[in-house]
Amino acid sequence: MGFLISLLTTTSITIVGVTGVFLITGLTGMFSLGQASFMAIGAYGAGVLAVSWGIPFPIAAGAGIVLSAVTAFLVGLPTIRLRRDYIALVTFGFGEAIIAILNNTVQITGGAMGLMGIPMLTTFPLAFGSAVVVVALAWNFKRSRFGRQCLALKTDELAARSMGIDVDRLKMTAFVLSAAVTGYAGVLYAFYTSYVEPNNFNWTKSAEWIIMVFFGGIGSLSGAVLSAIILGSLPEILRFASEWRIVAYCLIVLAVINFRPSGLLGELELDDIFKAIRHGRKRRSV
Amino acid sequence: MSFLEALGMEKRFGGVHAVRGLSIKVEEGTIVSLIGPNGAGKTTAFNLITGIYPLDAGSVRLDGNLISGLPQHQITRRGVGRTFQNIRLFKGLTCLENVLTAYDHRLRYGLAEALFRLPRRRSEERAARADCIKALELVGLADKADERPENLPYGLQRKLELARALAIGPRILLLDEPAAGLNPREVEEFINLVRRINGDLGLTVLLIEHRMRMVMSLSKWIYVMNFGELLAEGRAKDIMSNPAVISAYIGEEEVC
Repeated sequence: MGFLISLLTTTSITIVGVTGVFLITGLTGMFSLGQASFMAIGAYGAGVLAVSWGIPFPIAAGAGIVLSAVTAFLVGLPTIRLRRDYIALVTFGFGEAIIAILNNTVQITGGAMGLMGIPMLTTFPLAFGSAVVVVALAWNFKRSRFGRQCLALKTDELAARSMGIDVDRLKMTAFVLSAAVTGYAGVLYAFYTSYVEPNNFNWTKSAEWIIMVFFGGIGSLSGAVLSAIILGSLPEILRFASEWRIVAYCLIVLAVINFRPSGLLGELELDDIFKAIRHGRKRRSV
Repeated sequence: MSFLEALGMEKRFGGVHAVRGLSIKVEEGTIVSLIGPNGAGKTTAFNLITGIYPLDAGSVRLDGNLISGLPQHQITRRGVGRTFQNIRLFKGLTCLENVLTAYDHRLRYGLAEALFRLPRRRSEERAARADCIKALELVGLADKADERPENLPYGLQRKLELARALAIGPRILLLDEPAAGLNPREVEEFINLVRRINGDLGLTVLLIEHRMRMVMSLSKWIYVMNFGELLAEGRAKDIMSNPAVISAYIGEEEVC
């Protein structure tokens, strides 16, 4: 039972993080290879406040989120106008820089030893409730003028500008929002494990989340959540296979990418699928 | 002063002098055409007016206000709508959503209202959808609202692009070869459509087109470009008998 609860809790945290990545990569098509560093900022921001100053959890969590969002804004200022491939490079460098900073500010963060003694306040109901709220917010974002415009600029930036869309501003909005959500995932993570170290948040974490968004179907929030559940719990479920589980994980991802190049759900959302079933007509995925 | 006034537009791409001192004036409520052989610089001229490329020299004014130098989306929001020669619809969205993206700059609800589905979002979205359905109805695509644009036949994609440009709420519409790739019946339909947009909605239209049938039946005034320069301008029948225009076009397949 304890194992199941812990699995569900970590999966809920993964859902929050992947939703953050979905907001940037799924909606605008920008790759943030330093996304995990926003998780680090959220985790360390809230963690240090709680450990060193004894700030209560809600305030520390809020501060972690705001800190992530503000950092994203500052990183975005010079970055967001760049071409997409450069954005991926800059965010990658930024992410590694954050890890280096965390490793070297020993007095504040504990450096490579990690930050210990964070109160264990992330319970399953909190993590699960957070995941539900965050997914609902992301869903509303996608189904608003913002989400529409993001999807438009993802396919054709030039045409999007010609339709009166302020592309730079919109990218910034999506970037900051995604950093805030990812930062919150970091807060939940820190207060769940009670211990964080810089290497929890390096680029492999960012890559893992981007894989999850692609696995579920780029552009589909339902797909992102689904794949966070599948791929997030898969390593635990495959635990009996010990060292072979990474191989199995990779094979499953490769199989999906091979047979469904646009991901499990493609661009479809759950309500699209229900609608299609209700109308009794077959829809070919795009 | 004319409604749209582009004066002395210049553009170089490295060694290529794509547009040389081009001036175009369009009076309010008229349809004006820009024609010329392939590579004459017509689309570049459109891209200069809509701000896709910055001008090397010259100026563009809309209704007396300087619009050259503004960012692209600002120029659009001032009322310059356009379609593209090679159709550029948004693939991840439905037809209705494609039209909505062009309408969105008129919506005022903010991020918080979007995230929490507050009342203003609901009412504005409803109004926007109603208006965009109207734009789809105008071009005859209302029944295709929930289809994906890439599943539509070519002729309908052209109409969808027109509906999307109308949703901007433009004061002037720049149509870049809207009849390219259409069959003769679709061309006739498109001619009527442009005439309705001009007549019923009172929109000013600047048109690039190779189909002489379309140019001649719609345009009040024609500009002819060749090698980035203005070759001639005048009324339709005068242009067709202009010796310079005829020599520029000889050997060109597009004249039909």
